[in-house]
Amino acid sequence: MKTYSRISLFGLLLLVGILLVACGAGPAASPPAAGGAAPAPAAKQQEAAPAQAATNSQLPVDVPRNEVFVADQIFRYSVVDNFNFWINGPHTPHRHALMMETLWIRDQETGKRINDAAISGPKYNDDFTQMDVDLRDNIYWSDGVQFTADDMVYTVETIKGNPDLNAGGWSTQLNQFLDSVEKTGDFSVRFNLKDPNPRFHSLFEARWNGIYMMPKHIFEKVDDPATFTFNPPVTLGAYTVTQTDPNGFWELFTRRDDWDRTPAGIIVGQPGPKYVLTIFYGDSAKKAIAMSRGDLDVYFDVDFEAFQTTLDTTPTARSWYTKFPWAYPNEVSTRQLAFNIESDPIYAEKDVRWALALALDIVDLQTSYIGGVAKVTPLPIPPTASLTKIYLDPMEEWFQNLEIEIEPGVMYKPYDASVPDKIAAWAEGEGYTVPGAPREVFGTGWWKYAPDVAERLLVKHGFSRDNNGKWLKPDGTPWTMDLQSPPDENDAFRMANAATDMWSAFGIDVNLQGLERSVWSQNNYVGQFNVSTPWTSFALASGDAWPRVRALHPDFYVPNGEDYRSKGGGTLARINDPKLGEFIDQMQGLDPSSEENFAVTRKFLEYWVENMYDITAISFKKFVTWDERYWTGFPTSENPTYMPLYWFQGGKFAFESLKPVSQ
Amino acid sequence: MILFREYILPRLIQWLVVIFIGVTVTFLVPRLSPVNPVAQAVGRASAFQTLSPEATLALRESLMDLYGLNGTIWQQYINFWKRILSGDLGPSFTSFPMTVNAMIGNAIGWTIGLLGTTVIIAWILGVILGGLAGYFQDRWWSKLVENTLIAIYPIPYYIVAFVLLMILAFYFPIFPLVGGASGAPGFNWNYLSSLLKHSFLPALSIILGATAFRFIMSKALASTEVSSDYVQYAEMAALPRRKILFSYVIRNTMLPQVTDLGLSLGSIFEGALITEVVFGYPGIGNALYVAIISADYNMIMGVTLLSIVGIATASLLVDLTYPFFDPRVRYR
Amino acid sequence: MVVIRDLFRFSPSFRIGATILFFILVLVALSFFSPFAPDRRRAVPRNKEPSAEYIFGTTSTGQDVFWMLTFAVRNSLIIATVAVAIGRSIGVLLGMTSGYLGGLFDRVSSSIVDTFIVIPRLPLVILIASILRGHMTIIGLAVLLGLLDWARPSKRYRAQILSLREREFTHTGIFAGMNTFKIVTREHLPFLIPFLMADAVSGFLFAIGFEVTLSVLGLGDINSQTIGTQIYWGNYYQSLLTRRTWVLIAPVAASILVVIGFYLVSISLSTYLDPRTRLARMQIQG
Repeated sequence: MKTYSRISLFGLLLLVGILLVACGAGPAASPPAAGGAAPAPAAKQQEAAPAQAATNSQLPVDVPRNEVFVADQIFRYSVVDNFNFWINGPHTPHRHALMMETLWIRDQETGKRINDAAISGPKYNDDFTQMDVDLRDNIYWSDGVQFTADDMVYTVETIKGNPDLNAGGWSTQLNQFLDSVEKTGDFSVRFNLKDPNPRFHSLFEARWNGIYMMPKHIFEKVDDPATFTFNPPVTLGAYTVTQTDPNGFWELFTRRDDWDRTPAGIIVGQPGPKYVLTIFYGDSAKKAIAMSRGDLDVYFDVDFEAFQTTLDTTPTARSWYTKFPWAYPNEVSTRQLAFNIESDPIYAEKDVRWALALALDIVDLQTSYIGGVAKVTPLPIPPTASLTKIYLDPMEEWFQNLEIEIEPGVMYKPYDASVPDKIAAWAEGEGYTVPGAPREVFGTGWWKYAPDVAERLLVKHGFSRDNNGKWLKPDGTPWTMDLQSPPDENDAFRMANAATDMWSAFGIDVNLQGLERSVWSQNNYVGQFNVSTPWTSFALASGDAWPRVRALHPDFYVPNGEDYRSKGGGTLARINDPKLGEFIDQMQGLDPSSEENFAVTRKFLEYWVENMYDITAISFKKFVTWDERYWTGFPTSENPTYMPLYWFQGGKFAFESLKPVSQ
Repeated sequence: MILFREYILPRLIQWLVVIFIGVTVTFLVPRLSPVNPVAQAVGRASAFQTLSPEATLALRESLMDLYGLNGTIWQQYINFWKRILSGDLGPSFTSFPMTVNAMIGNAIGWTIGLLGTTVIIAWILGVILGGLAGYFQDRWWSKLVENTLIAIYPIPYYIVAFVLLMILAFYFPIFPLVGGASGAPGFNWNYLSSLLKHSFLPALSIILGATAFRFIMSKALASTEVSSDYVQYAEMAALPRRKILFSYVIRNTMLPQVTDLGLSLGSIFEGALITEVVFGYPGIGNALYVAIISADYNMIMGVTLLSIVGIATASLLVDLTYPFFDPRVRYR
Repeated sequence: MVVIRDLFRFSPSFRIGATILFFILVLVALSFFSPFAPDRRRAVPRNKEPSAEYIFGTTSTGQDVFWMLTFAVRNSLIIATVAVAIGRSIGVLLGMTSGYLGGLFDRVSSSIVDTFIVIPRLPLVILIASILRGHMTIIGLAVLLGLLDWARPSKRYRAQILSLREREFTHTGIFAGMNTFKIVTREHLPFLIPFLMADAVSGFLFAIGFEVTLSVLGLGDINSQTIGTQIYWGNYYQSLLTRRTWVLIAPVAASILVVIGFYLVSISLSTYLDPRTRLARMQIQG
């Protein structure tokens, strides 16, 4: 008896195991048969009848499905019921897109400045000590009060006078640059600056965000603006927040009836969805599942495998391109393998850094590890349409003629302009169609894969190989490298994997450490690493570089061991190069949108590349994916009206462009 | 009086000492981490927007002050105790300006609800099943239950939770993937039914393992009782089976079981960390996990403090009330 | 040997448990013959289903699931063994000395032990492991786990000793003039050994469970193969979502089998060795 039931139990477990294997071993593309008893997860049934799906929708709020646009909230809100965006803490993603306005917004896709609460661009006087702004005279707060210059002046003076209102460092910076602000008319304002500053307007020009306008008539009644939670907020944007989840998983926004009295409504010219619901489902897998069930209309990014699943299960979903390479490639940032040049003397030698660059096979990295979906770039400048025109195209000739010295008198041209073509060939080999010229789709050329040249560069500096082919440093000790990367930053970690594999094959003992995000960034701050995988861009979408490269000035240099930001700026690379300082000083006084400024920046970049201070490999990509089950009209590669990055403040135009799918 | 001096007072002192040491250890360990919360916060602030160097420095100054990280470890320790004793668990580092009190307040209800019910359900199920299995050792159903639970018991909890999620929320999408409930809180059917739906899987995963544990314990205890004299006498006297089972066998196994129940309820505050992370349940276990990952000292401290106090107090109460349950101790 | 044969013949749980363990040990032995090194990626074509060539399929990093499983089982067992050895050594030493010596030493050490019991272990371990993430090795993980699990066991050993001390046969021994050492070894040990064994196995299971939990969260040594890290990498590359479940089923099934195997063997062995049931058996056999 005892034996029998034990054996039968074991058999039961085995059966369950076999069942699961049977589910798993089926072709990856088709949904699992799963015994047939229960409905197969989403796949075929859902997309056939969107109207039916409305009834089994699992949304946490009770609004008609075809009137609500469900967006990925990206993370679970930990700060709830606080909409005071002028202090550090309350969450801004997509909330500021839907509700907050600043003066101008720089769109990352088109590179153009969009007039938000201002009616025209900033007007400086000749020596950049005064800035005049004209505001819109047709926008209103959600409680019916009109937006005027009084709000503008009140906002600036309140932030300037209260150091706690320091979101984005606005209070500090206003105090640093601004002398006084005055209204010169009901809808015009003049700023008087302390020193000449052609970039003062950038405080009000959103890359991520710009100084949010405060409603004077609300805040002036409050005792302490820093502790005021501004709940519910009075908004200048097209939406107000109507329901929030106390546990931070979702938030419901309702469109204002007078949406046409807000900048987004005026500029885009259409109402946008009646309701917007942001909801956090969990990790990539859960988002993909939610979208396949019709419970999510857009997600901001998922990992590659989850995205493939979306393609397989949700025919109405699409990313920037409908087909390969799918992802949105024009977010302004790039990914580097960055050196801590003070962690070991070998990294301070530029030839060693060049050798490491030449030991990487960028085509393999971009195709096998990244899947071919991000653009290649050798500069910390992403090859977006506008930035390519300003930097990468004009510099192409310089790249092709660039020479480095291998041995005394022996020169070598490291640049390979055909990299995009090679990637295109790979793509076609995989059966994909390339939607444009290779240089448009896959980025620019990169360094050649030349381990033999890399070897010669190393040997020149006293490196040698031991009996197993592993590299020994000039002092005879084995070359081991600590390469650190956070696994939850997908592309960075995969890039790190590629570097590990390739540099190991080259003969270096690479120790890849997948660190907890906070530990990784801490190590970056204090310099406890050899090579890390950060991300940055040296230029804003407007093309201006100074705000981004300013920190590289040798004035901010801090030696290894202390937090590199101890003087406010600095870089994890611990670079202390006076020549960089010269370039930066030159840029400082120039008009950011002038050709002069760009020319200086190009020289800066040439110097940077000659010294190979970092190895930039790829630019950012995001699988921002929209489901056309209920909503359409969002920006795509066929319709690149605005950037699809809906969580930036400039995402307001993407939201506003949405129209319901007509049945 | 003697009882107080010999038994209760030392026990109370022990309770205080245990909490004190536990809290001190939890104060120190995160500070041994190389992760600096101010550096992290500055990093977070500059992740999206470009902070000017001046703004970066200003931010660091204000944060050091705000987080109470000025001064030596000893000074921080003193300030920390002062704050704790006035009931203020401080501001959360990562979720500023939310206070730790507020965040725990939001989350604790979920954990208590989930763990409170599952602990009690698992205990009752385990005791009854264990008693039955101990008494009716040779029946086929008894062996089946025993074998199933013995097979489940050793499986690592994460695997149980993961397999449940895989089967019931993914392959057969019956249950939702994340969250505590849908909709706005209120005493309506929609909200309450969504509450049940969201908590079913986490509860099931906990109940499986906990019942198995209680069952094994209970069966062992019941088996010992079953072979004792008074039970055999009762059987010979042809007393009804049910009476023997409940009034004699199970009742006499209650002592260690009830103390275990007390201790289990005390450890509710520890939160079911893995459960909440796997199922996305918004309790304090989840909050603690996020706090650990993001080096939020105050939050870690707050939740751990709650847990230590909960367990120590439950243990104290069990020890103090034990004499009332067990006559043998009383007569010592 | 007679013991093993008897157990095999008469105890179904031992039979099943031992069979499972045998297969596990075969797996571990096979790991020494693996054609692939455990840290070599892109050794085989990626994402292939189970087939004749790749028994359990391949992973997204280009590794053969079956051969990696052999390493995983081996490493997980090593971690658990080392952890148990460390934890139980401390626990036994502390518990027994506490139980035998009594008095002030007992009171002080009991308080210390109670303090450690009260501190929630999982958050503490997650905290330490997240700090050490990236620097964790297999042995490091084992030591960390071992240092966690000594408090409760030491309490149990102490309780056992205390109850044994009060037993009749102990008093008999003392009256008969046996010295402490003889009492401990002749009278108490036979009771303690089955208890120790069962306890060691429960510690072993606890260590495996914890290792899986930590590694799945990415806090173990993700560059080595353990049951937990196999699951971690499976999740990282979305094996569930992309229906490549063979990557996950292998380690999950292995972990279930390992624990069930050990558990069955341990309960059958301890029932067998428990002096009370042994006496009962001897009575029956006459």
